[in-house]
Amino acid sequence: MIPVLLNGLVAAPVAFALLAALASRRERLAVGLAVLGGFVTFAWSVWLAVAHDGRLGSAGSTVDVLWLGALDVHWKLGIDGISGPLVLMTTLVFVTALFSLRRYAPENAEGGPRRTVSLAVLLLVIEAGVLGAFVALDMVLFFVFFEVALIPMWFVINTWGDAHDPATRRRAATRFLIFTVTGSALMLVGFLLVRTDAGTFDIVRIATSYTPAGATAVAASALVALGLAVKTPLWPLHIWLPDAHSKAPTVGSVVLAAVLLKLGTYGFLRFWMPVTSPEWVLVPLVAALGVVGIVYAALACLVQTDLKRLIAYSSVGHMGFVVLAAATFTVGGVQGAVFASVAHGLITGLLFFLAGAIKDRYGTTDLARLTVLYGKVPRLGGVFAFAAMASLGLPGLAGFWGEMLAIRSAVDQAAALPEVTYRWLAFIAALGVILTSAYFLALMRGMLQGGPVKPVTQAEATVEVVADTVPLGEAAVRDVAGTEWLTWAPLLALTLLLGVVPGLLLAPVADAARAFLGGLG
Amino acid sequence: MSGGAQQIDWAVVTPPLVMACTAVVVLLVDAFAGGPRTRGQALVPAALTVAGVVATSVYTVWALARDVTQGQVRQTFCVDSALNGPAPCSFAVDQVTLVFWAIVLFGALVVALLGTAAVAEGRTPQGEWHFLLLSSATGAMVMAASRDLITLVVALEVVSLPAFGMVGLRLGDRRASEASMKFFLVSVVSSAVTLMGISFVYGATGSVFLSQIDVALTTGSGPREVAVIGVVLTIVGLAFKVAAVPFHMWVPDTYVGAPIAVAAYLSVVSKAAGFVGLLLVLAYGLPDLASAWSPVVGVLAALTMTVGNVVALWQQHAVRLLAWSSVAQAGYILVPFGAVAAASREEMSSVLSRSAGYLAMYAVVNLCAFGVATVVGTRYPAQRLVDYRGLVREEPLAGWGLAFALVALAGLPPGVIGLLAKVVVFSSAAGPATWLAIVMAVNVAIGLVYYARWLMELFRPAETAGASTYDVPNGVGAAVGMTLTAAVVFSVVPGLLLDPVLAALAP
Repeated sequence: MIPVLLNGLVAAPVAFALLAALASRRERLAVGLAVLGGFVTFAWSVWLAVAHDGRLGSAGSTVDVLWLGALDVHWKLGIDGISGPLVLMTTLVFVTALFSLRRYAPENAEGGPRRTVSLAVLLLVIEAGVLGAFVALDMVLFFVFFEVALIPMWFVINTWGDAHDPATRRRAATRFLIFTVTGSALMLVGFLLVRTDAGTFDIVRIATSYTPAGATAVAASALVALGLAVKTPLWPLHIWLPDAHSKAPTVGSVVLAAVLLKLGTYGFLRFWMPVTSPEWVLVPLVAALGVVGIVYAALACLVQTDLKRLIAYSSVGHMGFVVLAAATFTVGGVQGAVFASVAHGLITGLLFFLAGAIKDRYGTTDLARLTVLYGKVPRLGGVFAFAAMASLGLPGLAGFWGEMLAIRSAVDQAAALPEVTYRWLAFIAALGVILTSAYFLALMRGMLQGGPVKPVTQAEATVEVVADTVPLGEAAVRDVAGTEWLTWAPLLALTLLLGVVPGLLLAPVADAARAFLGGLG
Repeated sequence: MSGGAQQIDWAVVTPPLVMACTAVVVLLVDAFAGGPRTRGQALVPAALTVAGVVATSVYTVWALARDVTQGQVRQTFCVDSALNGPAPCSFAVDQVTLVFWAIVLFGALVVALLGTAAVAEGRTPQGEWHFLLLSSATGAMVMAASRDLITLVVALEVVSLPAFGMVGLRLGDRRASEASMKFFLVSVVSSAVTLMGISFVYGATGSVFLSQIDVALTTGSGPREVAVIGVVLTIVGLAFKVAAVPFHMWVPDTYVGAPIAVAAYLSVVSKAAGFVGLLLVLAYGLPDLASAWSPVVGVLAALTMTVGNVVALWQQHAVRLLAWSSVAQAGYILVPFGAVAAASREEMSSVLSRSAGYLAMYAVVNLCAFGVATVVGTRYPAQRLVDYRGLVREEPLAGWGLAFALVALAGLPPGVIGLLAKVVVFSSAAGPATWLAIVMAVNVAIGLVYYARWLMELFRPAETAGASTYDVPNGVGAAVGMTLTAAVVFSVVPGLLLDPVLAALAP
């Protein structure tokens, strides 16, 4: 049963993408089919999550077919407590993203209409790639799925992205493509080096029987880390991210932030930890880069003037926590990494939806021009405040546990790691939490409540009038609509639920981490 | 050598003979039938060529494939050994030969179909053109089966000489003539250099048979330094053929000046002939000198892919872009050669089989890209990239065909076959020549930029939306359909292509 479910998990979005593409002449029907595909995949993933036993080793729980005999590459899929939560989060986020497309009318920027149905089809293809990557247990197969999402995502940014700024949009899309491809190609070289040492691409066998040692193993681990660091992203390889996130259409930003970044963090847990020995200096280095990212992102957020860029930078910080957690080589670290990944997917997905909603209403995400949203659209402002609080790690909401666990496991790191270094890293990361609170609170003060009154010079005032196509504040602006409530409700509810009952997620992750990575402390 | 009558295994030499005979038949039919009066008559040479290629393939599969795939080597034109050991032979069909024959036959078939695009224009004499195509393909087949240096050089010339004619055959086309002349001069020089290198190798080892050269070098009889000089010169000569940097200058001008079908031929069949030449000389004749030639080829590979990709970034002309991309792809194909410096013999064959695997993938998808370029060329001879705007809507088969070919050349899904071929090449270099793998990783990213740029044009809405105004010749349509189908099937079941090819060298 489980093998059929695993193959179906990858096949379902592809099948519905094909159906929607075939029906593309009838736009409403095709988009409806795509949304249905999202729901079916979600239901399928829930079924899979219920049916599987959370381990990779037991018989009948994985698919294993020889795919390319010449290189001994296997079509090997499996799911456990580490990938399960991410799979569920992915399918849920895609349901909301596809659902929100029903009322989406792309702007005519240049040269004809961008059709919603094509966007929906691309989203389903991306979903198939991401789900495949989460359940792949063969390094080459993981790489293949890792790459599936690239070209579609590039199209999404390039075609449906920010209509007002085609040149920047294209540059953002191309930069995203080049960075990610370079990273993943280097990661592939790393995988192949691992294979010369370990003799297999099967990550489960590597995790149980391979003890990395020697120069080749270090080089391999470094290359894998480098490739994943681009995707995650880890400072200083994050520079593709702010542009890509802020220029993408709303659903593109949601998918990028909530789901695609998780390929990197999941890769660290599943494919980097087993090929890395905690004794190497590489490990504290990776942890340190994560911590630098936390602080850097918080400082960058303090000076952002654009809402989408701000949320994008905040992702860099959150991913820093995830990488720090993974680099502690403890069960608690894996728990923290998975929890923070899932929480970030839900919360940042929600934040990008909200940014999109604000942009739909006011035509801008420029923070200098967005003020007093509490007064104008109180419900939207309220939801935004909730999401921002969750993102800054308020206890009781989902954002708290991942970061708390990351810092705790950094204090209580694996025995082979340098203790003092990690104490310092934990301290700086905790400082980062404070900075994160600072910029989110500043954001809420400025955007929701009404910012400091700035003196307006004559010149600025003129520019304002010319640039202002949508008068802010004066026209009656709709508050949150019914469809939007429906779209956001699952994200809101889960953010609260995971905040109150974190054990739902932590227990299976801990079991899976002990089973997969045997020797963890 | 003994002077007695030789036993000739006709089954082995029949495939190239069928090709050669078809060439003569095409020429004679064309000569005696008089000028074509209808478009249907003008297609007769193409039809005969296709029939000849199909007959050759069928015969090869029927008579040779079973024995050879079971590991047997069918040899002929052998001489009684003057030295100890088994009798050396000039002509042999093993699994490697079959792989390259398959590539050559597939390439010749597709190119013959693409050639029908020139019928409507009426400026290319069809009989002569197909005669030259078949002759050149015959040369490529002989080359893959040659096991001594003399046969190899003669075969190389048989590949090249008709190709000059094919490039310049379009009447009244001065750019084609110029391209032909440039190609001719470069090729002649490279042949001369190859000959020089081969004569050094002969001088150092006392034999022209690859197997005996190997024996002579392993047993240490003969000056190795001279042999090394010979190897380097031979590599240089063959590097012209495969268009490796810095011997690539002729490629862009020749591809652009020639009819697109000929550019397709040069980029696939002629290039494959160059690779099989390198493979035979280096892996069969000189494995003992691998520590000398492998680093040289490794550096060539790194240079070739980097220069090819970087220059391709600026191209606005579709065929010129494909020309530079084919230079870059040649670099990828050379990578395994650069990773065998310290390999044992068994390892060497298994590593070099990765080259053949990549070449097979490249042949299929590159022919697909050139096929679509032929389609677009019927309406936009200028071949600007912007002319491809909206192709997916206007001419879906061609548009999706090119899109698929481009992602496969870039090595990304959904072109899974291209991605796995890259994995195969990477896996040869990771470990023994990790630096080369890293250079290649960076190059894959650079290459993506221009493939993506072109891809974007395909999906942009056309300037004037409306019905397709393409008049796709049936032959070209069939060629695109064939290559696209092959590429898609291989992407779903990559083992179908890569397993037999990779197994061929590594039994």
